[in-house]
Amino acid sequence: MWTTILVSGFSLGSFYTLIALGFALIFGITRNFNLSHGDLLVLAGYVAYGLWKVWGFPFVLTFPVAILVMLPVCLGLQRLFSRLHNPIELNSIVLSFGVAILIQNSMLFAFSGNYRLIGIPILNQGFRVPGFYVSYGQLTLLLLSLVIIGTLYVLMYRTYLGKAMRATIQDKDSAALAGINVTAMGTLAFCIGAVLIGLAGPLYGCIHYLYPSAGHGVTLIAITITIFAGVGRLSTIILAGWTLGLAESFTVVLCGASWREMVSAVLLLTLLAFRPHGIWGKGEG
Amino acid sequence: MDLLQLKSLHKTFNNFCALTNIDFSVSEGEIVGLVGPNGAGKTTLFNLICGRFRPTSGKILFQGIDITDLKPHAICRLGISRTFQSSRPFGRMSTLDNVLVGHIFGKGFSLHTRPEDREMAHELLEIVGIAHKAETMADQLTLSEQRRLDMARALATRPKLLLLDEVAAGFSPVLVKQAIELINRVRDRGVTLLIIDHFLNLSLKVSDRLLALDHGEKVAEGPPHMVMRNRDVLQAYLGLRHQDEEDD
Amino acid sequence: MIQSTSIKTFQYEDKKRFTADRAGLFLGFLLLVALPLLVQSSDYILQVFTHALLLASLALAWNLSGVSGSMSLGHAAFFGIGAYGSALLSLEQGLSPWLTIPISGLFATGVGLIMGLICLRLRGAYFALATLAFVEIPKVITDNWDTVTRGSLGLVGISGLPSLHMGRWHMDFGSSIIHSYYLVFAYFLILLGIVAFVFRSNIRLALQAIREEEFAAESLGINVNRYRLLSLLMSAFFTGVSGACYAHLVRYIEPGLVYSLHFSAVPMIFAICGGRFTILGPAVAALVLYPMDQFIFHPLLPAGHEFLYGAVLILTMLFIPNGFWGRLRKT
Repeated sequence: MWTTILVSGFSLGSFYTLIALGFALIFGITRNFNLSHGDLLVLAGYVAYGLWKVWGFPFVLTFPVAILVMLPVCLGLQRLFSRLHNPIELNSIVLSFGVAILIQNSMLFAFSGNYRLIGIPILNQGFRVPGFYVSYGQLTLLLLSLVIIGTLYVLMYRTYLGKAMRATIQDKDSAALAGINVTAMGTLAFCIGAVLIGLAGPLYGCIHYLYPSAGHGVTLIAITITIFAGVGRLSTIILAGWTLGLAESFTVVLCGASWREMVSAVLLLTLLAFRPHGIWGKGEG
Repeated sequence: MDLLQLKSLHKTFNNFCALTNIDFSVSEGEIVGLVGPNGAGKTTLFNLICGRFRPTSGKILFQGIDITDLKPHAICRLGISRTFQSSRPFGRMSTLDNVLVGHIFGKGFSLHTRPEDREMAHELLEIVGIAHKAETMADQLTLSEQRRLDMARALATRPKLLLLDEVAAGFSPVLVKQAIELINRVRDRGVTLLIIDHFLNLSLKVSDRLLALDHGEKVAEGPPHMVMRNRDVLQAYLGLRHQDEEDD
Repeated sequence: MIQSTSIKTFQYEDKKRFTADRAGLFLGFLLLVALPLLVQSSDYILQVFTHALLLASLALAWNLSGVSGSMSLGHAAFFGIGAYGSALLSLEQGLSPWLTIPISGLFATGVGLIMGLICLRLRGAYFALATLAFVEIPKVITDNWDTVTRGSLGLVGISGLPSLHMGRWHMDFGSSIIHSYYLVFAYFLILLGIVAFVFRSNIRLALQAIREEEFAAESLGINVNRYRLLSLLMSAFFTGVSGACYAHLVRYIEPGLVYSLHFSAVPMIFAICGGRFTILGPAVAALVLYPMDQFIFHPLLPAGHEFLYGAVLILTMLFIPNGFWGRLRKT
């Protein structure tokens, strides 16, 4: 039982981190909470599903197309957000709430409410390692997520561009004074977000049923991980993802799958009640 | 009797010592100027008196009552009111409504606004000179008007002690003169005043006494002319060693 | 209905617009009163407007807490508890909805107290996120507590709206669509009256001050925590009562429905688009947008017609932040 929890927890957790990264990056740089994040991800999943099912695309090719679709959508979203006044955090929540409704209804219109799944048989098979059983699906999730997170890490911590982004996350005004084009950083954040969503969406469609209102749960996961990690720490985001993944796996094994949705909610509430600035953040002086 | 007593006040924020060992008293009817360069701890002191923060140690007594641990609204009910460095008007409410808030909640609670309440609020607007803008949304007022609204609003709570935070910052000499007149009018109504003024253009002219802070410590207190000759005060403001102050 | 508490001097144009608003409102009111007579042939129209009035009540209830700046995305928690509370009490204990509806409103208030204790220490965006998460808890619990709530199967056969006996008068609000309509209409009017009372009292001043500048409000003698909690509890109670009415109106509920984002989102959207600072704004928005959604967009787009709410919210946030009715009243 413990091995199931561990394997599932880490693979799912890594995937959750992938899901949350786009959301966290956009929030860190632009201070916009994008509540339609989960719905965008589900949309990417639907796009992949449509390509794979209707037009017979090989699954691997659905990723670039999903990214190409997400880029203009995310940039359009950025234009909307840029028109908001202070308080940006709250106003972006409300605005993106409306966007989420739009996206959900578009998906309902285009794909109907039936549950869809990208069925790739090999993902359900697996292999045995002493003491553990790992499915190829879980392995793929784990490896792919870590690779993408690693790439992002290199970008953020080993390039000048990443440095500029981190500066903007820490203090937008000072970054602007230092000559960093803060608006361009925002655009970059949305672009990277689009790429991450385009990568995570099709994966999501493999491991989870796609239906129009599925985005809500995904958004909640992204929010929980972002708040857990606090703003601007990549290493803590991975920790957050694994924590959530393990917590969910633990709950599912112990209490049943129907309790899964509550885990991220309880974790988020606990964090907000006691540590709204992240697990390492400080309380009020 | 001393209206306000500060006893050994300390305030630390996460390893930063904002205020150290402040001992000071304000008598009824005085106008006291709280001076010192930026970062000296003046607004922090206000925040402690008004209950926004709790001191790390020390006591605050108002009319003999220990108000150290009280919350801001309770302190207001006891008779201390304040203005803000950035005025903080209730932007999407009318000027009159802003003052009404202070009037109605400052000392108690009534369910409905009576005509007398509105009249008294209007009167306060007249005292500060913005009665003609009673219906305007507060965020449409000019900066100087917002400052005056802030004062009217604070006065509406019928305070015994009024804390003014940088009421004349950025003012031209004409506006400073108007501010001084206003402050004197307020004092004539029986309100004791504690004024933060780091530019000194106001407090030197209007205060009975000054309290000078630097880096969170009290460096001098007394009548304005004495405090402004004080070696440490000059050091704090001008960074000079005043060489002809040899008094040993 | 003048919003500001101060003496107004009218310009001529203001007076004209004021009278036009008043006339429009009165006309709308008359239409609503006479509706059953006007649409004799169609039950469907009456049902739509019954729902519209219920949603209008939800919007008014949401606004009771929204006016203090608390942007709650989790009001479905109260709606669901109200629905389940009343449904279960009337099914299991055989109590009349006259009793179970207010009682379940109290259940919802209890949940509001819990939400308040957890979430009210937060501000702005973080409060909103916390409420968004909070809904999941009663939802998942209701879904899983099969023994009491029948879980995801939902509750069927809930009794209809109650009947009223007064001497020789007998009105069964449950069996006749027309009677149901008038009962919901009456509830709406009562709630409107209560909201109007609160918004015309000094409580509104306190709540608006809290929304604008919380610390300044506190320095002026307002007990911020108490007022925010009070507004949340009032809001929770009436949302719960509305949920209970809903249960007896549609007579079948399930967790996925009554705790859904729909019932958190739509009242909030009506309140924002109508005008959070006004009394009538949320109701007007509900009574215009919901019928629009059902009569115009639903036939055109059987799947996805609710995009309307998203679109209206986006347009409002970008262009008319004070809401449509708020803009009209020039508040």
